[in-house]
Amino acid sequence: MVDPANTPLGKMLVEEITPVVMVLCTPLVEESCLKNGLSFVQMLSPFCDFTNIDVPVRTASDQPYRLRKFKFRLFYASDIRQPNLEVAKERLKQVITKAGEDDFPEISSDLPQVNDLLSRHESEILPTWFQFFNKELVRTLSFSDHEAFDHPVACLLVVSSRDEEPINRFIDLFNTNKLPSLLNDGAMDPKILKHYLLVHDNQDGASEKAIKLLTEMRSTFGPNDCQLLCINSSQDGQTRHKETPWATFRSDALATEHLGRFLRLDDLNEIKNLMQELSSKHIIPYMEQKIRLLNQQVSSTRKGFRNQFKNLWWRKGKEDALDTTNGPVYTFSSIESQIRVLGDYAFILRDYELAVSSYRLISTDYKLDKAWKRYAGVQEMIGLTYFMLDQSRKEAEYCMENAFNTYLKLGSAVQQNATRCGLWWIEMLKTRNQIKEAATVYFRICGEDLLHSAVMLEQASFCYLLSKPPMLHKYGFHLVLSGDHYKKCDQIKHAIRTYRNAVSVYRGTTWNLIEDRVHFHIGQWYASLGMYDVAVTHMLEILASSHQSKTSQELFLRDFLHIVQKTGKTFEVSKLQLPVINISSLKVIFEDHRTYASPVAASIKEGVWRSLEEDMIPSLSAKSNWLDVQSKLIPRKYKESNICVAGEAIIVDIEFKNPLQIPISILSVSLICELSANPEELNSEANSSNVEPQDDEYKTSTSTGDINSSLVLSEVDFSLEGGETILVQLTVTPRVEGILTIVGVKWKLSSSVVGLHNFESNSVNKRIAKGRRKAKHLPSSDLKFIVIKSLPRLQGFIPSLPEKTYAGDLRHLVLELNNQSKFPVKNLKMKINNPRVLNAGNQSYLNLEFPACLEKKLNVEQSSGHGNAKKMLQNVFHFPEDISVQEETSLSWPLWFHAAVPGNISLYITVYYEMENVSSIMKFRTLRMHYNLQVLPSLDVSFELSPCPSRLEEFLLRMDVVNKTSSECFQIHQLSSVGRQWDVSLLQPLDSILPSQSLFAGQALSCFFMLKYHRKSSTSEDSNPLFLQSDVRLGPPGNSEALFDVCSSPLADFHDYERLYQGMSCQGNVDFVFITQLRRGNIDSGAPHRPLLFSYHVCHCSLSSFSPISWFVDGPRSIQHNFSASPCGVNLKMTINNSSDAASSVHIKTFDSPSSNSQSIDATASQLVLPLENQAGWFSISAVNDTKVITTDALAKRITKSVSLESAPQFIWTGSSSTKLKIQPRATAEIPLQICVFAPGMYDLSNYALNWNLAPIEESQGEANKSSGECQGYPYYLTVLQSI
Amino acid sequence: MIVCVAVVGHQNNPLYIQSFTDADDALKLHHIVHCSLDVVDERVNNPKKSGPTLNETFLGLLYPTENYKVYGYLTNTKVKFILVTTDLDVRDADVRNFFRRFHAAYVDAVSNPFHVPGKKITSRTFADRVSTIVKSFGLSSAV
Repeated sequence: MVDPANTPLGKMLVEEITPVVMVLCTPLVEESCLKNGLSFVQMLSPFCDFTNIDVPVRTASDQPYRLRKFKFRLFYASDIRQPNLEVAKERLKQVITKAGEDDFPEISSDLPQVNDLLSRHESEILPTWFQFFNKELVRTLSFSDHEAFDHPVACLLVVSSRDEEPINRFIDLFNTNKLPSLLNDGAMDPKILKHYLLVHDNQDGASEKAIKLLTEMRSTFGPNDCQLLCINSSQDGQTRHKETPWATFRSDALATEHLGRFLRLDDLNEIKNLMQELSSKHIIPYMEQKIRLLNQQVSSTRKGFRNQFKNLWWRKGKEDALDTTNGPVYTFSSIESQIRVLGDYAFILRDYELAVSSYRLISTDYKLDKAWKRYAGVQEMIGLTYFMLDQSRKEAEYCMENAFNTYLKLGSAVQQNATRCGLWWIEMLKTRNQIKEAATVYFRICGEDLLHSAVMLEQASFCYLLSKPPMLHKYGFHLVLSGDHYKKCDQIKHAIRTYRNAVSVYRGTTWNLIEDRVHFHIGQWYASLGMYDVAVTHMLEILASSHQSKTSQELFLRDFLHIVQKTGKTFEVSKLQLPVINISSLKVIFEDHRTYASPVAASIKEGVWRSLEEDMIPSLSAKSNWLDVQSKLIPRKYKESNICVAGEAIIVDIEFKNPLQIPISILSVSLICELSANPEELNSEANSSNVEPQDDEYKTSTSTGDINSSLVLSEVDFSLEGGETILVQLTVTPRVEGILTIVGVKWKLSSSVVGLHNFESNSVNKRIAKGRRKAKHLPSSDLKFIVIKSLPRLQGFIPSLPEKTYAGDLRHLVLELNNQSKFPVKNLKMKINNPRVLNAGNQSYLNLEFPACLEKKLNVEQSSGHGNAKKMLQNVFHFPEDISVQEETSLSWPLWFHAAVPGNISLYITVYYEMENVSSIMKFRTLRMHYNLQVLPSLDVSFELSPCPSRLEEFLLRMDVVNKTSSECFQIHQLSSVGRQWDVSLLQPLDSILPSQSLFAGQALSCFFMLKYHRKSSTSEDSNPLFLQSDVRLGPPGNSEALFDVCSSPLADFHDYERLYQGMSCQGNVDFVFITQLRRGNIDSGAPHRPLLFSYHVCHCSLSSFSPISWFVDGPRSIQHNFSASPCGVNLKMTINNSSDAASSVHIKTFDSPSSNSQSIDATASQLVLPLENQAGWFSISAVNDTKVITTDALAKRITKSVSLESAPQFIWTGSSSTKLKIQPRATAEIPLQICVFAPGMYDLSNYALNWNLAPIEESQGEANKSSGECQGYPYYLTVLQSI
Repeated sequence: MIVCVAVVGHQNNPLYIQSFTDADDALKLHHIVHCSLDVVDERVNNPKKSGPTLNETFLGLLYPTENYKVYGYLTNTKVKFILVTTDLDVRDADVRNFFRRFHAAYVDAVSNPFHVPGKKITSRTFADRVSTIVKSFGLSSAV
């Protein structure tokens, strides 16, 4: 344990609890001293502190010890009184204010960090002025009447040698009416040690007169008590003191230099000796003597059992009489006061044992007397004495607490005493490392005086910080409390300081409400001091506090803007959080060789375009990137950066979010870009004037109108509602070549706040990580561009492409290509991802009127149109060689559009073009266009084919049409069949089923047609079987509108694609094209006046499920014959047709049994080809017959009946019962058949069967086709009558 | 009357703090709760108690301020519950009972698979439940 005297408290006590020497001097003495700028007391004071003396002392019980350190205090008699409370307060306030100025943190200094604070030593953290303040606070309590240690021990009477009648002056000086009230009203013993001092000013002349006076004095006052002091021996006043002992009296440095300028070293030494002599030879012995005297007195009256008992008795009696609040008045002569003086003197002379025993003796007395203030004072001293003795710590603390509480109980009158007591207590606790407890005492000290409370709270906060472990939460809390108190006392600088410290606690935690408040107040206070810059930085912290209530947000924003406005300048704030930028939404769209017709096109994934352009772009097929080819021209360093073209805008999409609940408006949002000259060009063309010098410089050109600027930036204004997110598109257009870097984005929050946000800082890491994974650079995150020379850039659009249409819509569209630049482009190519929907037409169609150009012409030049179509079946459409888009002209090219299927259709169109001799880096560019369109279902068309049983190569075609739209009315126009040589004809006139020829919404129509194989001899036509058509006009009768030609270019092309999409093409199928018109559509049409044309392609209406062999039997239906003469022979002819592409062998078998008839009927009805093993039809049992009878239809029933009735008479097949023949592909053969009838009747000649077998020719024979089969004969009824 | 309840995470980050006063004193209550964390830390780090009280989750009266009493509770995941009340004579049993119910509500809230541990509790059900508990605290102590 350290010596208590060396602890802060010990030092303070040794320094403060020292004897007081009262000074009485004449005005002339003061006058002499003031030459040096000092008063008399000031002049002497520095020499009253002795650290190096050795005075032997004896305790009251004759224990000798030595005093090595001693100090006494000098006061003018007029100052020995209790200081005026108001004055004292004012002085303390000044102390605080001054400390506030001194301790005010630098504007530029960073906010303190908690960890930083914790790592530092205590002395570095604690503001030094606390000590000073505490001392001042204690001093305001000096000369209180209940304590004796401020009572003067001695009196120094000083007279100048210039004074007239110095001896009389000495006597006059100690005149009672001049003495302080303490001595006069009896609280202090007026009989004190007197010391007489004659001051001689050497400037007044030699000291002979003074010496003479001294002897006179000695004879009057006694030889030991008189001294002579000569000062001002320096005549010129130029004495400089290296370390002025008086520095503490004057604060300003200039004045200290002149302090004591007439005092030579001799004078100082004289003063020093004088004071030392005064203390060691007069004061200490006097006090020692006094202690002895008092001790004797006390022990005679109070010590011992008898005295104690008597005392107790006496006090009990006195109790009733005195009932004042402060207890009885004790004069210096009362035993209580004497004991107190004894204690205090003993304390001063460091005889702590005596002190504590004295104090304890009177503390009970005071308690009994209810003299609480004195009691508290004594308790306080007991505590301190115990501390100095370093024993019974508990007791010491208890005493301090007791004293403190007692003072507190006494109310505000003794608040100051409580404060002092508390401070001592705190020091005691701190010495014992009970810092936390000290903090609570600080907290308890806080009284009504706000300013003092503020200081105490701040000190408490530091206690919490310094306690082990640190209690940071309380530290912060007390700082905030203290700051609030400071603020209430207008000590703004202190308030700021405390709050700044508090920030360190709250920053980084999630206690946002508190943190915001702290920042807000710091900001406000800085603003009130006029330090707007710092204020703004603090206000920025809370600007984007989304968790605050709406009113707080409004308040914060308003105050912030207000402060910014006051600064009168524009603030550039990096990472301004208002609005918040969503960096992940950053998207850069730029065009190198890839150009986009619309932003939508740019948003399509690169892969889609790549695959589309694959066989169009030459360099890709050559397996070398265009960058590689040109690598020599591009600095290696920038190889990874993107290329853009001068004069073409780079678009940056970025999201802004308003974190607040209040709307904010953002002005002039623009990009920050740097454009520097290409380093290689700089080197190579250093002399040339091409490179503008300003390019080298960092540039943020904002004015869009400035043509000379090398950058053009767009500016956007918008306002955000609370919590709203907005996507902003910003553009930058470089005008000259060089290297362009997009640095960030900036915006204006109000007229004077500019927010900046750097992209690079965020995306750099991401990019590196990605770069490693993928060699390819990512365009969206790459913000560096090489700007190359201006190149032609085609703009393209399709003006009348509908966004919404009905399925089947067929249109003529025009692609407009526009070249804005001065250079022509050539070698155009185009590719469309969905040729089924859109494909390029012939240039000759450009100026034709739309529906008319599709109409059938008499002299159709099919070959040319068709030839073109053939070419288009390839993927890439090559514009004719001679087509080039010249400077500032546009090219129109016809396109055909057909909404093939309902649904959403995405169209991707790329146009490839080459430039000539413009740039070495880029030879070609592509224009990418993207359209989305919605196709609604319109008419549902389906066809069904059934072969005609009685005709060869004739089919019944049923067409079902349903109008699926909700409001449209279609006018049916035409049905065409495509494929082979088919003839379509109406079975019945349309008028009968659909008089209006219009299909209204929801209406369904079924229509029957006859489809007939149309044989043509010309072989040349056969070679091209797909493009033959036959049409049926379905329009209103008398309509002379021409039919549309489904075999010429657009329709035929689309038909081809339809065929392709609808399934595998194979022989024997027939395709139909159904064409309707829509006169007044609700749908958006490019040309509203024209009727819309709709075509529906139904392909592959299959015939393949039918047998390839068809036949019919021809012969007489009814004959008359005289059976009496002979049986009747009938000749029949069977025509067999092979419709397949393979040669077929047919085997005709005839049966003589009629019993197979039921099966043949069945076969007829359902077209069943029966398997061979069921052919024993004639063994059929009647039961089968019966069931058939029941289930078959009415006609069949009748037939069955008739047959079964007439079953007995027979006919037989004559001639060969089995004929085999071979039929060539697509050929017919005729076979004669003959029967012999024996009786008249009606006969069904269906008991024969055809077995056919297709010769397995060429590889391509579809598996779907049957290679063999058996067909039952058709019913053929022959009526034979008996001729008369 | 309970004026404030708070859930504070083990890194002393507020997870849930709700005041039940009409006045606009959220800031003050935040300060009180924040400040009381020191006391919790102190109690946890200086386990003077031993034996049966070692596993005690209820920390008792943390500290009395001029107008409030602050009670604390520490779960075994080092999540702190703080209760600030204006009642000057509160029975310990009531507070214990309150904290037990509050703890149950908290456990249910963080058991929600959509709750991110360490993030603020935003569940409305939890808020409702807490306000019910708080209301019933006033009633039971009054009886």
